[in-house]
Amino acid sequence: MTTIAIENPDTHSGISNAKLGVWLFLASEVMLFATLFTTYIVLRMGSATWPWGWDALNVPLGTLNTVILISSSVTIVMAYARAHAKDLGGFRLWMMTTILLSFAFLVVKGFEYYGEFSKGIWPSTSVFYATYFTMTGLHGIHILCGIVVNVGLLIMSFNKESWEHPLFLGRVEGAGLYWHFVDVVWIFLFPALYLL
Amino acid sequence: MAKHNAAHAHDVVHADHERPNVKLYLGIFAALMVLTGLTVFVSKFHLPRPQAIALGLLIACTKASLVGAVFMHLWGEKKMIHRFLYTAGFFGILMLIPITDFVLTDHQHIDHANVAAEHPDEGHEVESAGPSTINLEAKPAEAPKAEAAKPAKKAKAKAKGK
Repeated sequence: MTTIAIENPDTHSGISNAKLGVWLFLASEVMLFATLFTTYIVLRMGSATWPWGWDALNVPLGTLNTVILISSSVTIVMAYARAHAKDLGGFRLWMMTTILLSFAFLVVKGFEYYGEFSKGIWPSTSVFYATYFTMTGLHGIHILCGIVVNVGLLIMSFNKESWEHPLFLGRVEGAGLYWHFVDVVWIFLFPALYLL
Repeated sequence: MAKHNAAHAHDVVHADHERPNVKLYLGIFAALMVLTGLTVFVSKFHLPRPQAIALGLLIACTKASLVGAVFMHLWGEKKMIHRFLYTAGFFGILMLIPITDFVLTDHQHIDHANVAAEHPDEGHEVESAGPSTINLEAKPAEAPKAEAAKPAKKAKAKAKGK
């Protein structure tokens, strides 16, 4: 039954429904973050003062998180490459590394937040910190969602039927697309908040 | 037959996915690391803000393009996906319209006390509301007269009645 559904083309465009769905979802995510970035620009231009990221935030920790997130983008694409090659062991290894790096990102972010809270810095402290906590907080929630999806795929790989399912590769690709998008958002957040 | 169908289905699904290029992925990873280091390094020089923002944005856009083109396989992706992103980008740019307000008017240097002096034409409009002011005042000015006339008429009527 499933085989018949796959054999018939998913869409007239030649793109599978799953991939099309992920891209549509990502387009909506682009809109969400575009709204946030526009708000950031308006608030920044309307403020009489705006601190340098170096003075207000922990730039070394922010840089470390950038390195971690970019590395995780590479590891998830390696997991995809291994899934494409039907190498189960390689897939599990790279996916596990991706999940560990994702947790590392959140731990570093947690240390950063802790450092700020212990100094009495809260979202209500200033417009800058309100913007910072809102944007990095929403990004952090996206990281958490990505971890849930990636852990789900890792668990599925332990089930032979799931691993051999023709749609498994598409699922890995979809998860990868989402994860790369989260990485792209951070690529813009990092200089906007920490460096400029 | 079922096995054949499953194998064919696998081929169909596989054809929808990009063939991974591990060497390219590693090259892009190295480029992203170099660009990240460059962003942090340049920011230490405390360039004037317009230049710093332009440079930061340029590097960020380059990094995002590399991730999108190679890791997300947008390079060589079907046109429909590109159209989705163009549409999202278009609406994203629409959201930038409020920013033109800040570009056209420098909010940080407005001295509200001197707005009237800086915009004498607007101040003139307020002062030149003369004719309408006169018209508006004319009605209440007439009204008391009419009301004042009423007691006089009543007094005359009373006198006649007497």
